[in-house]
Amino acid sequence: MNSLQVERIIKNYGDKTAVNGLSFNVAEGEIYGLLGANGAGKTTTMRMVLGLILPDEGNIRYLGKAYGKEQLSMLGYLPEERGMYPKIKVNEQIVYLAQLRGMSRKDADQNLKRWLDKFQVPEYYGKKVEELSKGNQQKIQFIAAVIHNPKILILDEAFSGLDPVNVELLKSTVKELRDGGTSIVFSTHRMEHVEELCRNITIMHKSNPVLQGPIKDIKKKFPQERVMVTAAEGSIAGLESIAGVEKVIRHEHGGYELKVSLPDAGQRILQHAMSQGPITRFEVMEPTLNEIFIKTVGENHE
Amino acid sequence: MNNGLWTVLVFTLRNKMRSKAFIIMTLVLAVLLVVVGNLPYLIDKLSGGDKATKVGYAEGQQPAVVQGLKDYYGQLPEPDIELVSIAGSEQQLKDALEKGDVSGYLLFADDAATGFPKTTYNAKSAFEGGTSSSLTGALQKVKTDMIIKDAGMSDEQKTQLSTPVSLETQKVSFSNEQGKTEEEQGMAIALTYVMIILLFMAVMISGQLIATEITAEKSSRVMEIIVTSVSPLKQMWGKILGTFIVAMVQLIILIGALVANLMLPHNSESLDQLGIDLSVLDMSLVVYAVLFYLAGFFLYATLFAAIGSIVSRTEDLGQALLPVTMLTLVGFYIALFGLTHPDHILILVCQYIPFFSPFLMFLRIGLAEPAWWEIVLSIGILLASILGIGWLSAKIYRVGVLMYGKRPSVKEIAKAMRAYKV
Repeated sequence: MNSLQVERIIKNYGDKTAVNGLSFNVAEGEIYGLLGANGAGKTTTMRMVLGLILPDEGNIRYLGKAYGKEQLSMLGYLPEERGMYPKIKVNEQIVYLAQLRGMSRKDADQNLKRWLDKFQVPEYYGKKVEELSKGNQQKIQFIAAVIHNPKILILDEAFSGLDPVNVELLKSTVKELRDGGTSIVFSTHRMEHVEELCRNITIMHKSNPVLQGPIKDIKKKFPQERVMVTAAEGSIAGLESIAGVEKVIRHEHGGYELKVSLPDAGQRILQHAMSQGPITRFEVMEPTLNEIFIKTVGENHE
Repeated sequence: MNNGLWTVLVFTLRNKMRSKAFIIMTLVLAVLLVVVGNLPYLIDKLSGGDKATKVGYAEGQQPAVVQGLKDYYGQLPEPDIELVSIAGSEQQLKDALEKGDVSGYLLFADDAATGFPKTTYNAKSAFEGGTSSSLTGALQKVKTDMIIKDAGMSDEQKTQLSTPVSLETQKVSFSNEQGKTEEEQGMAIALTYVMIILLFMAVMISGQLIATEITAEKSSRVMEIIVTSVSPLKQMWGKILGTFIVAMVQLIILIGALVANLMLPHNSESLDQLGIDLSVLDMSLVVYAVLFYLAGFFLYATLFAAIGSIVSRTEDLGQALLPVTMLTLVGFYIALFGLTHPDHILILVCQYIPFFSPFLMFLRIGLAEPAWWEIVLSIGILLASILGIGWLSAKIYRVGVLMYGKRPSVKEIAKAMRAYKV
């Protein structure tokens, strides 16, 4: 059974539609990617999942049940714009937030210590949040979202503003939570994170879900438009004149990146290159999620 | 007790009680009240009776008047002025003043019209209120004596003439068996005054505190996590009740400090002079005071909470709170006016307006004799508006906490309420 089922939800603000007929399911132990440009309706969707706003139409089910008070304690939320009480000690505010989610003081305190140890920052236990660096505040914020062991976790831009080391740390933590059975709704603008973490995604554009499904299937729908070729000797002449090649970019380290518009252009490029000498690399690239996103959303986005 | 509400309440309470600002403010106010409580006694001590002000006069000038003044002050048990004779002219008097031998000196000029010399009191400062009024009284007495000396009146007649008239004010009560005595009235005025000031301060300080905290939670975005964990209504009431308890604790500490000091034996005499006797405190008035205090507090607190919820940045809060702050101020000033005119038509009208009635109805109960239906009507309207405003504030709060950006207009809030289905 799916932990989270979203069925054709519609939300209007006056005469403006914020979310129009979105459906998706998140299985236990799955990270679901929710993508879209700013203002596409992601935050409204998340707020509906969190029960802050009721959808005008459609249903949201949590482990098969409708939204209710008992659902509150199984939801975890990391908001896009981070916020904690700046002047209150880490342990006090985390325990407070955990208590609001229905945890006992003692359990919350134990969990907090465990998480701080895991992030290798046990010394922050009694510090005020304003004394911590931005990246460390983010770790605390992350702990606030997961302290009560939520079944369904909503992460809005979880990794923004972190250095690469901390991104890896949080990413591996998210994966652990997933492997532990948590269902995660994940929103970000960093496509490489989506490719790494998510099984299924929805791309939203102007309130509508425009692209939905497993990443693998989505990629198959898009033509393979990029070819990488690198010759052993360095340069390859005359690539521009091959039929179906639209653009040639020469990379600094010697390779060529070609943009092609015909499916069989790849074979012609390979033959052309081999006729000039040995080649060390030839690859017909899968479209990246970044390209797919820009193609779907970017063209009519100002 | 509801779990979420309780958690918010305890959290608010703990943070407030342990904050340095709260502790320091309570201590400073307590010390201030201890000083105020002992003020009449201290003033008495500092301006001790044995130190009479020395007033100089030129030797030989207006001997009759000077002798009269000397006789007058001589017969007082604790004369506040001592007349000092200085030989010489005005220049010598001036020198004596400069050296500090005297605090001031008298100059006399003949005044044919009244037959009594025109007197000037010269001092270093023009604000010699106590001394000059004492001298005025003394001179008046001297003048009267000088004139009636020739009128051939008997000593008895003279005494009768100088005895002050007696006028006592008594409040007529139509409901009680007997009117209030002067002590009870003095106590009622004092209690009314204290209650109006306390309510005003509680509303201003606690109200601002509630609004500021809510806006701070919003601007620091903690709100987003909190509203997904606990219903906004529980959060709002947890915050209001928590702040209320903090205000109560502070109030009890302060009142305790004040009352304890007023009870000290050396203060009882000065209190008697002011017509205040704690033992004649009317208990029904105290019950009304508590009732109106609570009603006023919660009426304004919910309003402040609602406004705090629609503002996104603490910088904008002051401006948004201005209308409510003005409302409180207007209520406060009408009440101050009402202290001297409790039956004025303005008070009679405003006692039914919920934002003013906590101040005014209480004032009327304490100082005037409102009919029972006036009290019932006023309290009824007040309670109904607490429920109404509490309900509306909760709705505004529910949508307000999720609205970021510029301060929303009334239309936008109404639209959001429909959209959020609250």
